[in-house]
Amino acid sequence: MEQRIRVIVIDDEEGMREGMRRTLEKQGYPVDLAEDGESAIRLLKASAYGLALVDLKMPGIDGFEVTRYINEHAEGTVVVIVSALATVEAAVEVTRHGAFDFLAKPFTPKDLLRVVERAVRQQALLADRQQFLTELASERNLSRQLINSMHEGVIVLNLHRAPVLMNPTAEGFLGVSYREDLSLAELTLSPDVLAAVEGVLGGAGESPRTLRERSGERMLEFLATPYLRGEEKVGAILILNDVTLEWQAEQEKSRFIAMVAHELKSPLAAILNYVNIILTGMFDQQPEKIHEMMGRSKIRGEALLDLIRDLLYLNQREAGKIEKTLERLELKEVLTGQLEFFRVQAERSKINLRLEADGASYPVLADRKDLDRIFMNLISNGIKYNRENGELTVRLAASDGTVRVEVSDTGIGMTPEDMKNLFQDFYRIKNPLTSGIPGTGLGLATVKRVTAECHGELSVRSEPELGTTFTVTLPRA
Amino acid sequence: MDTKGANRVHSGLDRDVRRTELPKVMIVDDDQDLLAGQKAFLEGRGYQVETASSSAEGLAKLQGFVPDIILADLMMEHYDTGFVFCKKVKDDPRLAAVPIIMQTSAPKELGFTLDAYNERARKWMKVDEILTKPVPLEDLVGKIEQHLAR
Repeated sequence: MEQRIRVIVIDDEEGMREGMRRTLEKQGYPVDLAEDGESAIRLLKASAYGLALVDLKMPGIDGFEVTRYINEHAEGTVVVIVSALATVEAAVEVTRHGAFDFLAKPFTPKDLLRVVERAVRQQALLADRQQFLTELASERNLSRQLINSMHEGVIVLNLHRAPVLMNPTAEGFLGVSYREDLSLAELTLSPDVLAAVEGVLGGAGESPRTLRERSGERMLEFLATPYLRGEEKVGAILILNDVTLEWQAEQEKSRFIAMVAHELKSPLAAILNYVNIILTGMFDQQPEKIHEMMGRSKIRGEALLDLIRDLLYLNQREAGKIEKTLERLELKEVLTGQLEFFRVQAERSKINLRLEADGASYPVLADRKDLDRIFMNLISNGIKYNRENGELTVRLAASDGTVRVEVSDTGIGMTPEDMKNLFQDFYRIKNPLTSGIPGTGLGLATVKRVTAECHGELSVRSEPELGTTFTVTLPRA
Repeated sequence: MDTKGANRVHSGLDRDVRRTELPKVMIVDDDQDLLAGQKAFLEGRGYQVETASSSAEGLAKLQGFVPDIILADLMMEHYDTGFVFCKKVKDDPRLAAVPIIMQTSAPKELGFTLDAYNERARKWMKVDEILTKPVPLEDLVGKIEQHLAR
């Protein structure tokens, strides 16, 4: 059985009160009684009733006032006036005061129950409506919160092209704060975006498409869709997406590919140029000239091979295909081995290699190949960019849980301008001093990457004509 | 074996010899080998060749003489250094009439140096010709002669 609503009977005649109570309680309604307006209001304050049966004529606070009180303070309570004033005027009057129905005295229990049942149905509707309104309010609140917390910008335009909603993200993207009289023009959208909005509002039935537009430092993606109420189009919704990072990555990638293509083609162009010249036969009588061109071609070919190897390595590394084996390594031994590897090349270039280490042990936890990438590159640079009878010193020091390696040369050095893009892929300092030195432009960029992967830091200081020192700091094992 | 190339070498030389003064070519390229190779080749074909390995060096040398034609690389210190170089040359009234052939390894397919192949951009830059490296030697001589004849 369904839950019976709670009823309050307000009447100054005891006989009436008791009569109504008996009838209602027999039907299972919980009933409270009040003998005048004051006690009724007390009871209404204390508990909630689904139905109030109110006598109109009472001493003190009368039925009209009680009705008004109920309408103002107890919205879920249906009021039925019970009165002997059974005229049409009186009925209209009480309805005007917010009562739902009217029961004329005298009445039979059947009359009472009929009116009560009608009131109960009304109460159920009222309760539903109340519930619905509450839900709607919280729904609206939720949508608003969702829209406001969205990562995407949202702008809603009505049919008059006036912005009626703009979430904080959209405000941030466009640098415009929402206010009621904000105009579409103030959003300074691009002609393409405005055309898309018109397309949606004009009902050309165009399928929505995303547009990319620069907006200051940002790259924004705009999507215009119709704002529908049921079937009816009432405006346009503009969704804004910040795709700056994605766009930058695309730019960076195409820049990288263009650079790679350029760097691969350059040595080949030089080699083919030499070969073509030799093939013309114009230097057939000058073998030393041909020999020189072949020698240079060999160097460029080898550099090209180095570059391809570096690129493949970089690619594997980026794809996470390089397996790492972390082991506790003694950096002093690793560096000694590496310097030994370069001994012959250094002697040929008349560079003196030195290892300075005041302590006995410099342990690090690292992958041996990573350490090779870092220090072989730095040592090789220190030899290549040195001068005849120069020095290359590898200095080891330990402090506060770190191991510091300095690779110091007495070479041509760099200006602050030179160093600006030093760790960028393919960056090579180009001047008469460096022009004959082969390199891929990937060495230092790789050193930087690998050092970071080893949780280390890389820094550089340099003085033109005096030399350069790279410092790698790694966590001590 | 193809002997056409060799024949052309001789015909080129013969033609050059008839000139009262050898045409002066300035090559600006940061690739030492390309510079050395083209210099050797063009000298062999009867041109006077001056080289520069950077835009700055090229501009400095152009203070001292006016070549009959300039061959310039596009990507040198920076990816558009060659353009900036050409613009500076063409803005100098003394050098404005000197034709410039740009040689580049930059791939046009990638859009990165797209503007180099864009007709409007080329006119604005006043580059007379853009050739993709490696430029076949006979094409290079052909283009040089074509521009010198104008």
